[in-house]
Amino acid sequence: MNGLDIAVAQSVGITPLEVSLFAFILITAVLTALFRDVLASIVIFAAYSLGLAVLYTFYRAPDVGLTEAAIGAGITTILLLLTIAKTTRPATDELFEPINWPAVGVCALFALVVGSTLVVFPGVGDPNSPVMTNPDVTVHYIEQSYAETGAENAVTSVLAAYRGFDTFGEAVVVFAAGVSSLIVLGREVFTA
Amino acid sequence: MSDDRADTTLDAGVSRQRPAYTESQVIMSTVKAVVPFVMTYGMFMMFHGGGSPGGAFQGGALIASVFLMIAFAFGIDSTREWLSNAIVVGLGGFGVLIFGGLSLGTIALGGNFLEYTVYEPVFGSILGLDEVGFVKYGMEAVEIGGIAFIVAGILMGLFFLLAAGFNPEGVHDGNVVADDAVATDGAGEPAVEEVRSDD
Repeated sequence: MNGLDIAVAQSVGITPLEVSLFAFILITAVLTALFRDVLASIVIFAAYSLGLAVLYTFYRAPDVGLTEAAIGAGITTILLLLTIAKTTRPATDELFEPINWPAVGVCALFALVVGSTLVVFPGVGDPNSPVMTNPDVTVHYIEQSYAETGAENAVTSVLAAYRGFDTFGEAVVVFAAGVSSLIVLGREVFTA
Repeated sequence: MSDDRADTTLDAGVSRQRPAYTESQVIMSTVKAVVPFVMTYGMFMMFHGGGSPGGAFQGGALIASVFLMIAFAFGIDSTREWLSNAIVVGLGGFGVLIFGGLSLGTIALGGNFLEYTVYEPVFGSILGLDEVGFVKYGMEAVEIGGIAFIVAGILMGLFFLLAAGFNPEGVHDGNVVADDAVATDGAGEPAVEEVRSDD
């Protein structure tokens, strides 16, 4: 996760706004792991999700940004809060978790491996990058999706028409999550 | 809400770890003011996913979050009693049925999975749509009737399910006993400790 953030950060012409966004995301990500209090961890994790949502919007992926804000920052936080409300929070005076140096080493190694691919990345929004010029994928959908599906938002046409089978799987997975939660918690109804 | 008040007065003599629900005028007023706008925005996102950022997944999550906010403001227990299980299950179940029916229907008519255009020779004269129209409104049906229903229903359900917690019949863990001693409604469910953001 951290490695990816660094990867994106170094591949773009950096503006001060992006620098502060990346710093915010990195700091909240590290703090999520370090805070000893679970409640503090959850709150800072919500802030991390919100930072990611702003970043996605900034890079012109508003659909992904909205999902991250609604699911990542909103619903996940509420479900996590509910979960710790049902358990006990260990009382402690320490603010931070003791740092596990072997784990830090593994994470650093992973970041290094992922980061080593940075040199071949095209810049964000580079009009000559392979993903922008591919006539069979990107160009086809941008030019044809309105004529073929009548939807102005090409993302929706891909989700609901071109790759509808994937979306069907995603929707049924949500349904399956509800059913399996009922089974795990030993209940027959969601509400009274 | 009245049930929660009754619980509080009954439990007044018993020391509990946290109050089950604290009635806050600030939170209730804020939620009352915000809920219509969130609901409208969720509906807009759901119906307008084909033309603007967003879509059924995000819209469904927003609609579910309306009920989550109501639960935070007015008590999870009373909201769970107010919200019928049939609504939650109906949203999720009908969502899968609509999505599955639409997509398998195309196979039944000899097309590929979700190939909306095969509906055109059958229903085209009835509905007055051309092939692109079938794709457009088929996508809307899948988005609204399928994904948004499933996401809204199941997210609501997961929230109230987690709030109720693990409770197999006849089995009670230790900290429930104190609650049972003062519970008079005989519902057999342990009082739910709710989330409080300030502790």
